[in-house]
Amino acid sequence: MDGRAIRVEKLTRRFGGFVAVNEVSFDVAQGEIFGFLGANGAGKSTTMRILCGLLPASSGSVHVAGVDVVHDPAAVRRSIGYMSQKFSLYLDLTVDENLKFFGGAYGLFGRDLRGRRERVEAQLGLAALGSRLVASLPGGIRQRVALACAILHSPSIVFLDEPTSGVDPESRRAFWRLIRKLADAGTTIFVTTHYLDEAEYCERLGLMSAGRLAALGTPIELREAFVPGRMLEIHGVGIDALRRSAAGLPLLSVEPFGAALHVRVDRDGPGADDLRRALAAAGVPAQVAETGVTLEDVFLTVERATIAGGGG
Amino acid sequence: MNRFLRRTRAIAHKEMLHLIRDPGAVYMALGVPLVMLALFGYGVSVDIDHIPIAVVDQDHTPASRRLLQELTAGGDFVRAADLPSPEAALPLLGRGDVRGVFVVPEGLARHRARGEPGALQFLLDGSDGSYASVALGDAAGVAAAASGASAALDLPIRVRFNPTLRSAIDIVPALIVMILSMVSTLLTALTVAREWERGAMEQLFATPVGRTEIIVGKLLPYVGLGFVQTLLITTLGAYLFDVPIRGSLLLLFSTSLLFLVCMLGVGLLVSVVTKNQMVSVQVAVIGSFLPAMLLSGFIFPIENMPALLQAIASVFPARYYVSILRGTMLKGSGVSLLWPQILPLALFAFLVLAVAVTRFSRRLA
Repeated sequence: MDGRAIRVEKLTRRFGGFVAVNEVSFDVAQGEIFGFLGANGAGKSTTMRILCGLLPASSGSVHVAGVDVVHDPAAVRRSIGYMSQKFSLYLDLTVDENLKFFGGAYGLFGRDLRGRRERVEAQLGLAALGSRLVASLPGGIRQRVALACAILHSPSIVFLDEPTSGVDPESRRAFWRLIRKLADAGTTIFVTTHYLDEAEYCERLGLMSAGRLAALGTPIELREAFVPGRMLEIHGVGIDALRRSAAGLPLLSVEPFGAALHVRVDRDGPGADDLRRALAAAGVPAQVAETGVTLEDVFLTVERATIAGGGG
Repeated sequence: MNRFLRRTRAIAHKEMLHLIRDPGAVYMALGVPLVMLALFGYGVSVDIDHIPIAVVDQDHTPASRRLLQELTAGGDFVRAADLPSPEAALPLLGRGDVRGVFVVPEGLARHRARGEPGALQFLLDGSDGSYASVALGDAAGVAAAASGASAALDLPIRVRFNPTLRSAIDIVPALIVMILSMVSTLLTALTVAREWERGAMEQLFATPVGRTEIIVGKLLPYVGLGFVQTLLITTLGAYLFDVPIRGSLLLLFSTSLLFLVCMLGVGLLVSVVTKNQMVSVQVAVIGSFLPAMLLSGFIFPIENMPALLQAIASVFPARYYVSILRGTMLKGSGVSLLWPQILPLALFAFLVLAVAVTRFSRRLA
């Protein structure tokens, strides 16, 4: 497998005239946490389904765990774990019964199945909940049960489709600690998300926009490639007022960022103090502070570039 | 045990857990047969007797009085009113107080004494067709019995298989057909559609489980359930209504299995195509329950249907199964007599399963 768990080359998927995935190519190394980002409808889930053998590709080649998925989609299922978006567990079954069922679906049985179930339950903090009906458990725990079902058969790659949607922040952090441990033990993680703060947990990111892979790299690489320079965060002034008052200063870009504005400047460009003085001089008192470049800044820049480029 | 069996068993086991955890399904599976058996066995009896009638004696002779007495002596009719003229009976007929009127015309006794044919008149409320036809038959019977003089024309009728024409004996086999049709089709239609709606089907497709394994695994618990239902109805039928099983039990249960597979296949096909619980239920009822009720020969004899309806009825497996059940239970027929019914059933079972498996696309579009 030459250390590469996933190899995708020029993958394209059309639905009628609509190109959902357009000539996408990337690799994922064994044991890597690879994050797949993008807005809804950008082609994330479609790509993931093709990788899992759930959807045929229109063209291109896909290798997952050494299996040519385009030609033999069924063969890949033994080597992967898949946790779908709604973590579709059976609510009227207990935690143990869900695990037994998915274990059986992967052909596990008897003492081997029981050993794995107990191990995974302990690993994910579910040991005390085995006989509880899933319907009675909160979202954060259901999410861990779903993960347990997906890793019971020790897959070399785990696909997680928006695993943290509808889960509280504390559970999300705990979930990502578990993912980290899995990856440290050598499991490759392929995860789609639209929480940009979560993307920071990933070692490498692919950013989908309108069916194309618009950006690919580590979070640091992406920041430097798309949002070079420093970032200033400004509170208490509108975007037009800022442009008027700071007309003399070399600002690379201004983006609304929540209630604030994010202003990008060159590495040796104006500092927070320069900007604050300029605003005060124009009669607009505002708070200005240096801030780090976030992945949201990267995301906004990439999205803007795609739209400017005619939607890719 | 190979992987196929293991995965199928995992699905069957999970399906069984769904089934026993769902009070609605358990009620439908076991409660509905009991309720229907009670309803049809005790309540909806087509044995009609004690029909209230009015009598009009315009002859006023000892012979006419004796004749009217004989007419109501058997218990089929109850003499509810004595009226002077047929016109006086019409309001009673209209209100439904009486269902018919016997009129003995003036001079009947005189005619009969001379050996001439005499005529009785029977006015009948025809608003309830099946009731009226039973009353008509009874009237003809008692009139023939009472006429005495026409003894030479007496028709010796002996009813085979159900000598006293008790309706329970006819209804219990039909009930098996209806319950197996409705419950199995409905429950299977729900189970696959539910899987799609929950999004669990996608999760299943990401495992090595194949489509045949999903279908067989999902059907198995319902096959077992259908057997329990058949057993329940035949046992209760035998104990409560003395419904006999004259043929071979093996044949009865193996043909029941065949029919069960047909109906489960229909349910499966419906839910595979619709992928939606609400739509599935409606299609399942229209596609299984109604044909079982109306086109199986249970209520309306198929021989009396228009050619088009007969052709439609011959597509649904229910009519063959009704014939088989009546054959094995009441007549004691064996395979040599019943194979023309068993063959279409087997063909239907094979076709519907093949189509369901084919339509059950492995991939998510």
